[in-house]
Amino acid sequence: MTASENPRTQNPVWRFFCSVRLTIVLLIILALVSIVGTLIPQQQGSMAFARNLRPGTLKIFLFFDLFDIYHAIWFRFLIGILALNLITCSINRFPGIWKRFSALPRPDRQRPFEGLPDELTIATPGQAEAVAKDVEHFFRKKYKRVRSKASGNIHYLYGERGRFAHFGFYLVHLSILIILVGAIVGSLFGFEAYVNIVEGGETAFVNRTKNMDRIPLGFTIRCDRFTVDFYENGTPKEYRSDLTFLADGKVLEKKSALVNHPAHFHGITFYQANYGTVVGDRARLKIIRKTSKPATTAVEVKKGESIQLPGGEGHFQVADIRENFMNMGPALLIRVHPDGGQEKSFWVFQDRPEIEKRFPGLTRKFSKLNPSAFKPYTFIIEKLDTRYYTGLQVAKDPGVALVWAGCFLMVGGFFITFFMSHRRIWVRVAPGEKHTLVSVAGSTSKNPVGLERELEHLSRSLEEHLTRKGRKVS
Amino acid sequence: MNSLILSYITFVYFAAFFFYLLMMVMGKGVFGKIATTICVLGLAGHIFAIVLRWIESYDLGIGHAPFSNLYESLIFFSFTIILLYLIVEWRTKNRTLGTFVTPLASLAMAYASFSPNISSRIQPLVPALKSNWLITHVITCFFGYAAFGLSFGLGLMYLLKLLDHDGKSGIFLRLIPGKAILDELNYQMVVIGFLMLTLGIITGSVWAHSAWGSYWSWDPKETWSLITWFIYAAVLHSRLVHGWRGKKIAILCMIGFSCVLFTYFGVNYLAGLHSYGKS
Repeated sequence: MTASENPRTQNPVWRFFCSVRLTIVLLIILALVSIVGTLIPQQQGSMAFARNLRPGTLKIFLFFDLFDIYHAIWFRFLIGILALNLITCSINRFPGIWKRFSALPRPDRQRPFEGLPDELTIATPGQAEAVAKDVEHFFRKKYKRVRSKASGNIHYLYGERGRFAHFGFYLVHLSILIILVGAIVGSLFGFEAYVNIVEGGETAFVNRTKNMDRIPLGFTIRCDRFTVDFYENGTPKEYRSDLTFLADGKVLEKKSALVNHPAHFHGITFYQANYGTVVGDRARLKIIRKTSKPATTAVEVKKGESIQLPGGEGHFQVADIRENFMNMGPALLIRVHPDGGQEKSFWVFQDRPEIEKRFPGLTRKFSKLNPSAFKPYTFIIEKLDTRYYTGLQVAKDPGVALVWAGCFLMVGGFFITFFMSHRRIWVRVAPGEKHTLVSVAGSTSKNPVGLERELEHLSRSLEEHLTRKGRKVS
Repeated sequence: MNSLILSYITFVYFAAFFFYLLMMVMGKGVFGKIATTICVLGLAGHIFAIVLRWIESYDLGIGHAPFSNLYESLIFFSFTIILLYLIVEWRTKNRTLGTFVTPLASLAMAYASFSPNISSRIQPLVPALKSNWLITHVITCFFGYAAFGLSFGLGLMYLLKLLDHDGKSGIFLRLIPGKAILDELNYQMVVIGFLMLTLGIITGSVWAHSAWGSYWSWDPKETWSLITWFIYAAVLHSRLVHGWRGKKIAILCMIGFSCVLFTYFGVNYLAGLHSYGKS
């Protein structure tokens, strides 16, 4: 239908929004803008890029939100216009579509039969009226809204099928709107966040990805165990976090999060995103007391625990354990309390030989860094207990169901739009010179080749039907 | 073993191209029949090698469908092109499209087999790819790409046919089917491609929802597939509603296919989550 058939087209605003040219232009603009978004680093990746820009250029970039194009106001505005365009187009076309959907053409139309190929006409013995009755009986079973009419001794039949195909594109358009609504619902009522939990640790808050706000979960999540499996060649095979969900100290549920298999709890989904290690609060130390025999004692220590020195001069404790102290690797702080003496504390590095190589004499120069600062002892870290932490991505998106419903509808709409058509079929039963002639003709909303095939098929099955009825077809 | 067979298939498809071309230049139908035979044999070998590769991965103890990296995707891409082309050839009883499509398949195979940057080794699946969606996602996407590849070939034929004035030009142009047929066939390819691309994007986002925590993250590959979708949506609207035919559609389809190629290869040069297809 052309736009001029509709009275609303007098309104220029309406005309602007219901033009297909606008659709095409918008689609191309959206494509171009999206291309720009893939060429300029977006969001977190944009920092390094932005630093190399001149201040003037940077201002322009920031003004147009070019580092976060897909969430920029103007990008959403474009999508909004597209949605509006889609709605107005759909409304605008409705009267025409409805007409084609509901129109019931006269059975005795002549035009479909003009220029009909010979093979679509079959000749059969018998009175036209009797033949017409047989044909109609057969025809009614195959087509809907069948109408018949007789004018003189010529009998006409009309039938159709697939008239709902006209509405296929409405399903597609509706599906796009539903997906957009789903996306809006998700961004209004959902969140994207992350949280790192050490094995054995728990949390009731997660950090919003966008601005690191703390979001309360309403329950507590504990990571009982994190495991990573490797293939023989060393590439990772599986990451897995065993999680427990608790409230008021009571265990509500235990679940595991694996890559591709997130854990769901109370409408919030936890995805296995990454992992790492942190030092724990235990260590195995070797303590050398030069004058004793044997000189070396091995002890297991826990952070904060007070332990007697092997020589009995007093006690010591591990006051702190750091993953990476002064950028020289793992270290722990030893605090010695000699009986009746001055407290002394100093750091012990795990990789002391390595540090000695890099900064010769460093540990001897600063007593705070000297593992032999309390004489006659030397402390050596044999093993630091490390623990995994799991990095979970946390998301709540109440719009997802709408998005999936939209996707379903879209695919269904495509099948109807592209592969179904509204086919109108006419049959004419007319007396010929010797026989009665049965002709079939039709029109279709699309796929003319398919209609041709259908007409040939119909003609052939009519032939068979009439033969079965005892009318030998020649 | 499978990669050796696959590297030979490059030449089989090239031979098919050669005979299709010979048919077009000499105007002898017999070359076309030879070309089709070669193509069918090549496809049989191709399927055999893919199945063999699948079995071999299980023998290595890391069994998975052979759709997991750039090598395997190129092999599958080439397979979908030839399969779809042979179906079209069978349905339309016309072989001229073969001249324009077999080189695409042969090039994809050659790139997979002979590029020094692409490893043909069977590798274990990284955790992110271990999903039932892998097979559906890859199959839908690549049938979409293949249909757009055929549409590109048809667009090219249409533009060449424009040079043919009243059948006075050489046999090559005269053998190309009429413009209306090309246009109609091109439309059908775009419809198939668009449907498959849509399914590919949907399966991809369902998968991303469980693997990456979001059904849409504007990752460059996602974005480029959406760009491609926009372009073909514009093609369909301009044809179905705006009534465009012929040359404009042919040119739009060629732009569309260049977007497909960028979605497939170009995106590897941009940072993103979809890094499996890089090598």
